[in-house]
Amino acid sequence: MSYFFPIIIIMANYRKEFSKIYDQCINKIYRFIFLKVSSEEIAQDLCSETFLKGWEAYKNNPKIKNPSAFLYRIARNLVIDYYRAKGRTQFVSPEVVPIIDPNPGLEEKAVLNSDLGQVKAVLADLKEDYQNVIVWHYLDDLPIPKVAEMMDKTEETTRVTLHRALKALKEELDKREVKEV
Amino acid sequence: MVTEKELISKLKELRQIKPEKEWVSLAKTSILGETPGFYLFPYFRPALAGLVSVLIFFGVFAFSQNAVPGDFLYSVKKIKERSQSFFVSEQERPQASLESAQKRLKELTKIAETNQGKKLPQAINEFQASASEVAKSFSKTEGIGSNSEAIKKIVELDKNKQILEQTLATKIETEELDNTYKNLAEYLISDFGTRTLTEDKEEVLSQMKELAKQEKYLEVLELLPLINE
Repeated sequence: MSYFFPIIIIMANYRKEFSKIYDQCINKIYRFIFLKVSSEEIAQDLCSETFLKGWEAYKNNPKIKNPSAFLYRIARNLVIDYYRAKGRTQFVSPEVVPIIDPNPGLEEKAVLNSDLGQVKAVLADLKEDYQNVIVWHYLDDLPIPKVAEMMDKTEETTRVTLHRALKALKEELDKREVKEV
Repeated sequence: MVTEKELISKLKELRQIKPEKEWVSLAKTSILGETPGFYLFPYFRPALAGLVSVLIFFGVFAFSQNAVPGDFLYSVKKIKERSQSFFVSEQERPQASLESAQKRLKELTKIAETNQGKKLPQAINEFQASASEVAKSFSKTEGIGSNSEAIKKIVELDKNKQILEQTLATKIETEELDNTYKNLAEYLISDFGTRTLTEDKEEVLSQMKELAKQEKYLEVLELLPLINE
């Protein structure tokens, strides 16, 4: 019994610390996932699961060196699993298609047609490394050394990847612009 | 043609993407069991905080029970179910996965009955994923073939699925589950083949073999109560 209360206090502290991590990272992790899955509901689902797994791991090992990088790693794996599962259990019956409105609503159309919507769509089509390097450096403002650490690459390679990612994004956007004209 | 500078500034505009505030605090509550702090009386802070946390926690969970895929509280419902599944032993997993698949099927039926077409693809994906879980859990547990209760439930699941398919006028693909029927049927036939059976039961066994030849594996499973009496 005498061990019981210290355990409760330790757990309460872990909870408090993880709560801070949650507040600091929730927007970034949500955005990271949303840009990959392009669906609010799926992003919410995967984001909750990321933090649930993060919390389970944190309870067992609160000395995780870089919680933000750790959460990004979980999120990346969950997105990969999601696409794998989606590929495996893809719904193929054509009869169900007419039930869903295949034409996007006015609001969705407006977003898709806007410049920002296009950048988002093209970004989602880039390969995973390119998406990550762009999101971490330009959206999350992480310096190159940090991004290199997250990608498990050297700083030089990360700089080259970033350059190529931006080039690929620009080329694709230009291509789509020409098509529209 | 966009310049690199313009492109970077557009990318930075994507920072506008943020989750809904309500969802952020609800998800936090369901993961950590905490609530955003607001208190009426400073003296009762700890008690009130505890009470409010407990009330919100149970309230959210209670409300999330009726959520269907595509609903705001559906992720809370999933978190709750996932947390519960941590405590399920390997032996109970087939039963638990069947119950979970039945729930997904009920959600799907509810969506179909209330004509919520937009939520249908997600609900179908959820059901297919839970059907895969059923298939996995049945492959892991040895001796499941003689578990009449589990077989009865799996047959019931498929019947409900067939009713839903008629309502939707479409087939829901669950390949892994279909393979499970086949494996179970073959297991049962070979298992009963090694036993000494009464004449009536021998008759049932030969019916099972005949149905298996015609690849009617679910009907083989339906005969289990007759031979297992």
